[in-house]
Amino acid sequence: MIRSFSAIAFNGFREARRNRVTLVLAFFAGLLLLSSSLITDITIATFDRVLIDIGLGGMSFILVLLAIFLSTGLLSREIERRTIFMVVTKPVSRGLFLVARLAGNMLTLTALQLLMGGLLLLEFWVFKTAITWPIILGIGMVWFELLLLSSVGFLMSSFAGPMTAAFVTVSMFFIGHLSGDIYGLARRSKNVALQGLGKVVYYVLPNLERLNLRPQASYGIVTPASVWLASGVYALAYSAILVWLAILLFRRRDFR
Amino acid sequence: MATPIELHALSKTYRLGFLMNRQVRALDGLDMVIQPGQVYGLLGPNGAGKSTAIKIVMNLVQATSGTAQLFGKPPTNTEVRRLVGFVPENPAPYEYLTGREFVQLAADLGGVPVSEVHDRTMEVLESLGMGRAADLQIRRYSKGMIQRVALAQAVVHRPQLLILDEPTSGLDPVGRRLVRDFIFAERNRGTTVLFCTHIIPDVETLCDRVAVLVNGRRVREGKVAELLTASIPQVEVVVEGLSEERLRSFGRTLDEVQTLEARLVVRCRGSEAQLLVGQVLQADGRILSLQPVRFTLEDLFLQALSEAKHGTVGGEIL
Repeated sequence: MIRSFSAIAFNGFREARRNRVTLVLAFFAGLLLLSSSLITDITIATFDRVLIDIGLGGMSFILVLLAIFLSTGLLSREIERRTIFMVVTKPVSRGLFLVARLAGNMLTLTALQLLMGGLLLLEFWVFKTAITWPIILGIGMVWFELLLLSSVGFLMSSFAGPMTAAFVTVSMFFIGHLSGDIYGLARRSKNVALQGLGKVVYYVLPNLERLNLRPQASYGIVTPASVWLASGVYALAYSAILVWLAILLFRRRDFR
Repeated sequence: MATPIELHALSKTYRLGFLMNRQVRALDGLDMVIQPGQVYGLLGPNGAGKSTAIKIVMNLVQATSGTAQLFGKPPTNTEVRRLVGFVPENPAPYEYLTGREFVQLAADLGGVPVSEVHDRTMEVLESLGMGRAADLQIRRYSKGMIQRVALAQAVVHRPQLLILDEPTSGLDPVGRRLVRDFIFAERNRGTTVLFCTHIIPDVETLCDRVAVLVNGRRVREGKVAELLTASIPQVEVVVEGLSEERLRSFGRTLDEVQTLEARLVVRCRGSEAQLLVGQVLQADGRILSLQPVRFTLEDLFLQALSEAKHGTVGGEIL
């Protein structure tokens, strides 16, 4: 089972590595990170903060784009092109196939994140910006956001087409970052139904702001371990539920 | 050894449309048993349910009712699939991999011991004439080369049962010959083979047993030789010097009469032909030839198709 899992996961990583879109996006990510030092020319007093803001924000943006692109198209592409026929007919359960494909995706994103994170830290070192624990934590928590979004993408692509899956995952990204504000706005409303809807959005949909420690990185605020650990566990648990749902749907799916 | 494939009252109805309110019955109570070592052909027109039956056996599609068993276990059992090799219709391997990488992936998934993966991969690729192209990316392969890689991935783990869905469709004569030789080789190795096709000569050449499917139902089943000899033998008589009206006035039961210039080509049963020849000669007609008609699998197939009531293509719409 472990061998099948690693074979499928590594194959997913190999696919992304040979996929031109991934390479082009990785190239642009590098350019974007390096160009953040040029953008900082417009600032005088808050050079470090702008550099951290733009660097971390740019890295997170590119990785989120990639996570959505890779996760939402992967299963539907396999089904549409019928490449899945020669894999799920092997002694491999559909659940294992799905989890291994997700692992391959995360392997690709982790490799890119390490590369981009390394490049960013190198840039900080060159510009003599202090590399602090909040910066490392800010970079690290992006991984959990990528895992959660990839899980949403996988769940959607286990039963819907790539366009629908991409639309829902992008929507989930925005709602996930705005769920706190949506809850706040709903609470101010006098409409009970709206208040209820706000609560549902806040508690049921993923709260991605919990995983956003980039502002803390910019201001050098140390987040207590209990907070970021709880956020990490939250992301892992939420992803596990999404993957479990995806497996349930994927098991029943007919590949015509 | 357990029975490689056993299907009992297998049915499949697809639900189509946005609201899933349209139904197409692809399989309707199919019974089939394939014994070890057999080469079994599933014959039928497009939409007869051949691929659906195979997809249920390979757990790609779930049956609406009935049971399918592979070596006595349901197709959902992952371990039993270790004994099976499968080539789908128009196989689509990962294009970004090389032929070698793809077969190695199949070997890893099929449970080939790690120490043997490389050697077995090259062995099957070379046996299919793909040794030199093994390190080319699959996106550069021709259709025939893709088919060979698909066959290689199906046998790299040495399965006891090989399931091939339209293995020769779209291939040139060289490719078709290669697939036939491959099936022969597997049969000689003792592998049970199930393949579906609508190319009749392939079935006639390769199969021990055949089932004809029409509209998701099995309309014929048996050994190829038995099915062909079970039909009533016909004789073709070519007559000259008589009109069709005159010939028919003899009162014989004639299955078919065709006029070709001044000749009449008549098909009838052997017993009728004997009497007909005497009457033609008495009436000063000439017998140019008299030969038994060989009943082919194609005739059987067309006969079965015409006997089936709703000759639709693509399954029966409910």
